[in-house]
Amino acid sequence: MISVYYFGAIALILIGLYAILIKRNLLKILVGLSIMETGVNLLLISIGYVSGKSAPILSEGIGPSQAVDPIPQALVLTAIVIGVATTAMALSVAILIYEKYGTLNVEEIRRLRG
Amino acid sequence: MNGQYASLLIALPLISAFFVPVFKGIGKNAVRYFLILVTALQTGIAAWVFKEVYTTGQPIIVIAGGWKPPVGINLYIGHFAALFVLIIAVVSLFMAVFSISAVKTEPIDKYAMLFLLLMLGATGMIATGDIFNLFVFMEITAISAYALTAYNKTGEAAEASMKYIILGGIGSSFFLIGVALIYGSLGTLNMAQIAQLAATMNPTVAQVGLALIIFGLAVEAEIFPLNAWAPDAYQAAPHPITVMFSAFVVKAALYAMARLIYLMSDVGSWNSVLRMLIIMATLTVVVAELAALRQKNVKRMIAYSSIAQVGLIALAFALGTQAGVDAGVFHMINHAVVKALLFLAVGYVAITLGGAEVENFKGLGKKMPRTAFAISIGAIATVGIPLFNVFWSKVRIILATIDVGYTWAAVLVLSASVVEAVYYFRLLHTIWFEGEGEKINESFVIGLMMLFLAALVVVIGVYPDYVWELARKAGEDIFNVTQYVKNVPLMGVGA
Repeated sequence: MISVYYFGAIALILIGLYAILIKRNLLKILVGLSIMETGVNLLLISIGYVSGKSAPILSEGIGPSQAVDPIPQALVLTAIVIGVATTAMALSVAILIYEKYGTLNVEEIRRLRG
Repeated sequence: MNGQYASLLIALPLISAFFVPVFKGIGKNAVRYFLILVTALQTGIAAWVFKEVYTTGQPIIVIAGGWKPPVGINLYIGHFAALFVLIIAVVSLFMAVFSISAVKTEPIDKYAMLFLLLMLGATGMIATGDIFNLFVFMEITAISAYALTAYNKTGEAAEASMKYIILGGIGSSFFLIGVALIYGSLGTLNMAQIAQLAATMNPTVAQVGLALIIFGLAVEAEIFPLNAWAPDAYQAAPHPITVMFSAFVVKAALYAMARLIYLMSDVGSWNSVLRMLIIMATLTVVVAELAALRQKNVKRMIAYSSIAQVGLIALAFALGTQAGVDAGVFHMINHAVVKALLFLAVGYVAITLGGAEVENFKGLGKKMPRTAFAISIGAIATVGIPLFNVFWSKVRIILATIDVGYTWAAVLVLSASVVEAVYYFRLLHTIWFEGEGEKINESFVIGLMMLFLAALVVVIGVYPDYVWELARKAGEDIFNVTQYVKNVPLMGVGA
């Protein structure tokens, strides 16, 4: 079944990709990367979603048959943590680039060529 | 001994990375020797695993926490993984020794930690039996690789690292979408179970999922058009790290690619994915060889040559035949040895003479004869002269390509090899016949490592049979998916 969540997720991925490919400012590119990662996470979580079922926490009145698939949720947690690490790494490199080049415009950061 | 000890391959570098700050308190050099100690231990464990797997012929399956797959997570150390974990450990040990003289930039403790994590990530990618774990290990490798690329803290290093981060970020997102599609249609992440259920998958979804996974891994595997980061990162990274990138980080991604492709071989639309990869791989070879021709920096030139060889391996893996996979694995082993030798020697020259520009290589034959000799052996071997190891694997790859009927690919790859010969012989001419210089004292330990690697190149070249036998077994491990599924003790759930 194609659900509406897929469209939201794919739209986010495409917006992120657009920002990465078109923008000139390094920070905007990194924001695009984050948006793309969010879209992917949303796609993962929507795969485990079943309409009308509750969170996969065992409690009164909710057995395994009434809960959604917990595995995608566990995967997304891991993916979010990895995404944060990548973003932190990228930002610290961006600081270094700004120190050395004095600009964040990707068209001016071109010492390595060929 | 119990096979579960193989999990130390993952645990040891991880725990040791945490202990690095403790050793920093003792002294700066303590960290360097600790690095050597850990990699030596890792080599010991890897050698034991290798011996165990190759004498019994049975893969070691490590089951995490006693939960049987697919509920729990397993490591699968078959013939391929055992062989490559050993190669990773040996190369890391050499590079830990090389780091003592090659890496002077502070902070050395951060360097040691990232070094261990890079080794861990590549080991994990090869050993894991679960695609989400593959993603996690890939990201560990990638993030430590980003950081290590920027380690020299120059403008170039930061720029190279940023390119790598952006491409790597897109790649890992694509990979995750691919994983999501496969999980969405099969409901499992375990590789063996995916292989079991692959035939039931919708061909279009499988095609898209597999293509996205290939694109995601292609960033790490340096396949055109996603390899723009590679020459920059190779040039800017510390010299030992360049060796590690070329010798095993790329190989781990290539292996993951091959493994996933063959796991899904029951899928209806499989051949179109292979065709896409063949085109990408051939383009990689041609573009990289042409780019290498006009490089002024020797390290960058060899980086491009390395990308071309990787394209050759990807081509072999994409053929879809047993002969192709075997030849690909054989080339992986040979390439790891040769490129470790070349980057080690070039890195050593760059440290001693202050840069890897072509001018520094003039008169090298008179200044540093031993190193120049090592570079010559590496260069001649890479070109594919008979009686050196790469010759045998190149011949096998081209024969396998023609067998399947991709004559155009074989022709393109062969003509690219001619280009390769041109720039390597130009380099040799510069080394031996141009310029003058006084003899410089060469380091004994590094000379010993170069001698070992060069000897390996020649020995495999003269007696290729033993290593070919290893490669054949490892190739069968990838190609024979039925056996793979049979080896993993799956619990009867899911489906």
